[in-house]
Amino acid sequence: MSARSARVAAARPRLAQVGVPLALAAMTVLAAAFVPGFLSPANLTTILLHTSINAILAVGMTFVIITAGIDLSVGSIVALGGVLAAKTLTSGDLLALVGPAGAAVAAVVVGLGVGAAVGTLNGSAVAHLKVAPFIVTLATMTVARGAARLVTGGVPVGYPDPGDAAYAQKVAALDLLHHVGGGRLPFPGLPTGFPAAALVMLAVVAVGAFVLARTRFGRYVYAVGGNEEASRLSGVPVPLVKLAVYSIAGACAGLAAVLLVGQLRSGGPDAGTFYELNAIAAAVIGGTSLLGGSGTAWRTLIGALLLGVLNNALDLLGVQAFWQEIAKGLIILLAVLFDVWVTRASAAAATREPALRGP
Amino acid sequence: MALLSLRRVTKRYPGVTALDSVDLEVDGGSVHALVGENGAGKSTLLRILAGAERGDAGLLELAGERLALANPRDALRRGITVIYQEFALVPQLGADANILLGMEPLRRGLLDAAAARERAGRALCDLGAGFDPSTPVERLSTAERQLVELARALVRDARIVALDEPTAALSNRESEHLFAQMRRMAARGVGVIFVSHRLEEVRSVADRVTVLRDGRRVFTGGLDGLDDRALIRHMVGRDVEYERTAGQGTCGDVVLEVRSLSRRLRFADVSFTLRRGEILGLAGLVGAGRTDIARCLSGADAWDGGSVLLRGEEFRPRTPADAIGAGVACVPEDRKAQGLVLSLKVRENAALASLRRFARLGVIRRGEEIAAVARQVNAVGLPADTLERTTGTLSGGNQQKVVLAKWLLANADVLIVDEPTRGVDVGAKVEIHRRLRALAAAGKAILVISSELPEIMALTDRILVLCEGRVNAEFVTADAQPESILAAALPGGEAA
Repeated sequence: MSARSARVAAARPRLAQVGVPLALAAMTVLAAAFVPGFLSPANLTTILLHTSINAILAVGMTFVIITAGIDLSVGSIVALGGVLAAKTLTSGDLLALVGPAGAAVAAVVVGLGVGAAVGTLNGSAVAHLKVAPFIVTLATMTVARGAARLVTGGVPVGYPDPGDAAYAQKVAALDLLHHVGGGRLPFPGLPTGFPAAALVMLAVVAVGAFVLARTRFGRYVYAVGGNEEASRLSGVPVPLVKLAVYSIAGACAGLAAVLLVGQLRSGGPDAGTFYELNAIAAAVIGGTSLLGGSGTAWRTLIGALLLGVLNNALDLLGVQAFWQEIAKGLIILLAVLFDVWVTRASAAAATREPALRGP
Repeated sequence: MALLSLRRVTKRYPGVTALDSVDLEVDGGSVHALVGENGAGKSTLLRILAGAERGDAGLLELAGERLALANPRDALRRGITVIYQEFALVPQLGADANILLGMEPLRRGLLDAAAARERAGRALCDLGAGFDPSTPVERLSTAERQLVELARALVRDARIVALDEPTAALSNRESEHLFAQMRRMAARGVGVIFVSHRLEEVRSVADRVTVLRDGRRVFTGGLDGLDDRALIRHMVGRDVEYERTAGQGTCGDVVLEVRSLSRRLRFADVSFTLRRGEILGLAGLVGAGRTDIARCLSGADAWDGGSVLLRGEEFRPRTPADAIGAGVACVPEDRKAQGLVLSLKVRENAALASLRRFARLGVIRRGEEIAAVARQVNAVGLPADTLERTTGTLSGGNQQKVVLAKWLLANADVLIVDEPTRGVDVGAKVEIHRRLRALAAAGKAILVISSELPEIMALTDRILVLCEGRVNAEFVTADAQPESILAAALPGGEAA
């Protein structure tokens, strides 16, 4: 190997650390230079708002993927959790009993609960019945979607008819949740304010990052994904860890469902279609390895933002939606190729490294 | 001229020379036995023959023609078939489909099942097999699978057929049948290579024998006039001289007492005691049940007969976590697959089994973790600057020390060490031995499993020899001879 290529190879692992943030920065600079209206505070906060749901799903997905699993059901959970949350929020009986604020709290609890419950179901099938995650979550994806359509009769629920007896209260409840899902908080220097959903997103990313990096459970998540057998032999409760990551992914999907209901002021049985794939894409672009053992919540956020910036820039340029999909696919492909390239280089660098000797 | 000849074939792995300038000549029409201790290089030799691995130096000639085998397909095409212990068969496919895999007969571009069945059936019939050629391989017995592999060699007109310990799982009658087929193949001019640990089998079927030791050929010759004693002496020989620490231990009270422990099909009626400060060796061939005993004691598998006392109390771990909690830990033989999470940092691996201690409300206290790990890492002789390195980038010897540090940190009292120096270079081997001895001196009870006789001789105070799942002999290391240990380890050998 020539000195130059050796130097390049040695630089690759470092490139892996900064590569994705660098790509996001480059794309932002390009968009700022060539896309009119991109750099305005209003547009930038809109990107954050539009990224928030995907980023929340992607953080849950990151937990699962680090254990070398996958969760295809989160998109359907967004639909099922959403319609059940919307039904709770606009239930006439409940509103009469506890008012709009109480109903909003109940809706959040229902959304999160449904998500966590389906996730736990996924987790126990993976951890205890030892069924392949792909198959388990493919099944719950289909079941949850079907259930969402069943309880709604196939049409969106929530927004009341003008003739509804509890019309005012229902709208009040929906508006309340809209403050969180689609609303903006006053923020110095931002005339349009800061999206509340983006704040929720940042909180989820921060908590996710903390759990992964600083807690015993987080360490176990990496250990199980890196080498399940060695972890088991070291006393790590492998089934519990697996169960928990799917519960987390489910709860994240439930939270996303609630935010989406707030944003749209209704719960649709067809909401969340393909969201699972966008979440996987964000995690993978952020450098989470599908083979397990590596990934972080912050990098996943960057992956989600990269997709958000891309979509937004192409939108503003008036590029057809079909082209946007093609561009997104190519970005994912690039990210994976980059990952393969880096992994191979760091493996090569590891074998070249001189053996250490003890004193 | 020999049908197959290897000239100065050399293969190095990081830290180990698996084959060191080995010559081998195999004549057509003969059975050539290949013997040697575990790790002598037999498997590596077969893998090179099979094209599964490339030598670093040396050359292969088949019927006077130089071979450059790039992959297994190449070797098969040239007429070399290697039959491994773990068969290379697709379990769900029929015997016929397996036999003709990669050379399926076609009719107008489509698979011709009838022709496949017929051709494979003829080869099987030739080998005296009595089952339907379309039977899925997963429904066949080990002996029948062996015949499928041989039939595969037959239909490919193999000129060289190598079998790696083919009789390990066969009954006597099945072995006899297999030997008859091997001799018939030889009679047709095929060169048969036969790897075995059973000297009486080698005698009954082979014409010549080659002994490998530490990657070198130490003997080749006819079997006439060569007795078992001489053969064993060739296999053992003394090459690696370790610092002997045996018998230095001052043994304290009994920590572990194993009473007629059994696990079906693995080992039976194994009893021994292990004292504080003592290093007990478990010798024996691969597959003699040593690792299974380690797995049972460390909670990875369950036993189904007998009992174990730990510090005088009944001990029956259901999970590795149970065993760790009781202070029994195992350094597994396959470091990469079972011992370590290579993608984690050294600190994270070392702390993996004792995180509970450093966590408050589930949050790891980084400072406590680092301090505790640094102490143990120091105790096993790892440089302090490795703490934050990814474990996978360390050398084998240092990785092994990480596993040791993990168990010391988890306060293990009884350490079971399975092949402690496998894939570790010589300097690091000596150091790991010293560390283990120091741990024993500090009051740990240590059970060492090793396939390397010199290691067992150098490191242990007492030796238990296992053979086919049973304790065949026990020695005090200071009085033991390597020849008598090996003799006790070989199936059908005399217990000394």
